Amino acid sequence: MSAGIGTVAFFDALADEMNAHPERYAPLGEAEMVVEVVMSAPTGDFRARLAFEGLGCSGVTAVDGAPDADFRLTGPLEAWQAMFDDIVAHGRATGKHTINSLALMGDEIVCLGDDPMGLDKFSRFNQTLQEFLDGARHVAAGAR
Amino acid sequence: MADDVAYPHLPTESPLGAPLDWAWLRGTRAEWGIHPKPSPRGLTMLDIATGTYGDVPDRPPHRSMAPRGADVDDDTADMGYILNRKTDVWADNVVELYEEAVARQWSATRDIPWGELRELPSDLEHAMCQLCTLLTEVEMIAADLPAKWMWRLNHDFIEAKMFLCTQIMDEARHAEVFRKRALANGGGLLLSRSGPTSLLRTIIEAKTYTQASALMHLLGEGFVLDIFRMGELIAPTDVEKRIFRMCMQDEARHVAYGTMHLRYAVEHDPDVAEEIHEALDVGEQVLIDFGTAPDVSTALAVLLAGGTEHVEDKGFPLSLELTKKQLTSYLARCERAGVGRLGRSVIPFDLLGMDVDALQATAKSAP
Repeated sequence: MSAGIGTVAFFDALADEMNAHPERYAPLGEAEMVVEVVMSAPTGDFRARLAFEGLGCSGVTAVDGAPDADFRLTGPLEAWQAMFDDIVAHGRATGKHTINSLALMGDEIVCLGDDPMGLDKFSRFNQTLQEFLDGARHVAAGAR
Repeated sequence: MADDVAYPHLPTESPLGAPLDWAWLRGTRAEWGIHPKPSPRGLTMLDIATGTYGDVPDRPPHRSMAPRGADVDDDTADMGYILNRKTDVWADNVVELYEEAVARQWSATRDIPWGELRELPSDLEHAMCQLCTLLTEVEMIAADLPAKWMWRLNHDFIEAKMFLCTQIMDEARHAEVFRKRALANGGGLLLSRSGPTSLLRTIIEAKTYTQASALMHLLGEGFVLDIFRMGELIAPTDVEKRIFRMCMQDEARHVAYGTMHLRYAVEHDPDVAEEIHEALDVGEQVLIDFGTAPDVSTALAVLLAGGTEHVEDKGFPLSLELTKKQLTSYLARCERAGVGRLGRSVIPFDLLGMDVDALQATAKSAP
């Protein structure tokens, strides 16, 4: 697929990739979390809500109202693009391009949330989230 | 519920003449026929927490191992439990966390791609081995401590007890995976100093379970969770990245339980807050000694710098930045737990160059 990363179509493709390969997620166990991804750009922000249930991603929806997720990952489109480029180049996120590393450094992509029990889920399901994002290696990440 | 008129023709004596008791078949007071519905994942503990079986008493009437919801004899044995109030151990997320823990168990033997380890420069291998030595040492405290308290925990709080069992298994696996990593790539276990032991003794000797939970779940495991997050950032290969991510998931569950337990305790018994503060007053001081121990700080700095060459211009400054993030996370957890530490903490935020006013603002939202 050739959709840019700041589109529902791109995250739909990542969800399809996850749902087609439960064998990758079964060793990690079920996950229950709702994540909002925010990509800011001069032309306007892209926001998508990703719902994870069991071993799959059950829904990707565009968001335009108040945040309604366990946590939000927010940063400029360029930072997200760099992360997905690294995944495509190496087959998985490496070095400081993993989602934990990016959120820990907090220079560009930050993890935010208002519900303490929801915010915990970033760490509790981190390997599942990383595996989901690493699915971009199978989904051409041509944004720009 | 079965009743007395059911099964009217049952014998009153065994073939050997012993009296028979059919009370379990007719006339028990336990709730019968609740038919819990399995969720898409299967039949979870949340699914069966229905009817009276879902009622967790604030003060259980028994101190025996009788299962909650059963028809319990009045003269059942007292097991000597001392944690007999729900506020002593409960957390609103404990049932969910138990199911999550069971679903997300992993194997340090099978689920780490050990075959992908590659030879590292000697300084990096030493630093990783030193970090693994420390983690192998400190992780088991989070198994020993629940083990110390579990047999004192009223059996009506079975879900909390079950969750603590998963924590013990998690910590065994962490000790295993870091020991394996230290040995697996041509290195070995390195220095073990007295600093970590002081911290561990402070935790294991806590006078109450809630103080112990504050020291272990909130303070100790909270800091270790951040070390795991840092470890994932600085991991030299994907093998270590996966190790740290998998451990991070487990550790976050423990922190989530502890944070919400303290919150539950404080909400239902505000006097407990001072008890928690007193424990953290001591714990923070010991943690400062632990965190500034040269073995820990130098090993982390070398890993952050990618080697010894840039340890001064890159490693230590980055280490300081991450320490600030660690402290910000800790303060946020304290806020969530209902025991805000700003204004009380013995940690020298000013000396670390941290803006206390800014901390106040961010304490409610940091991950």
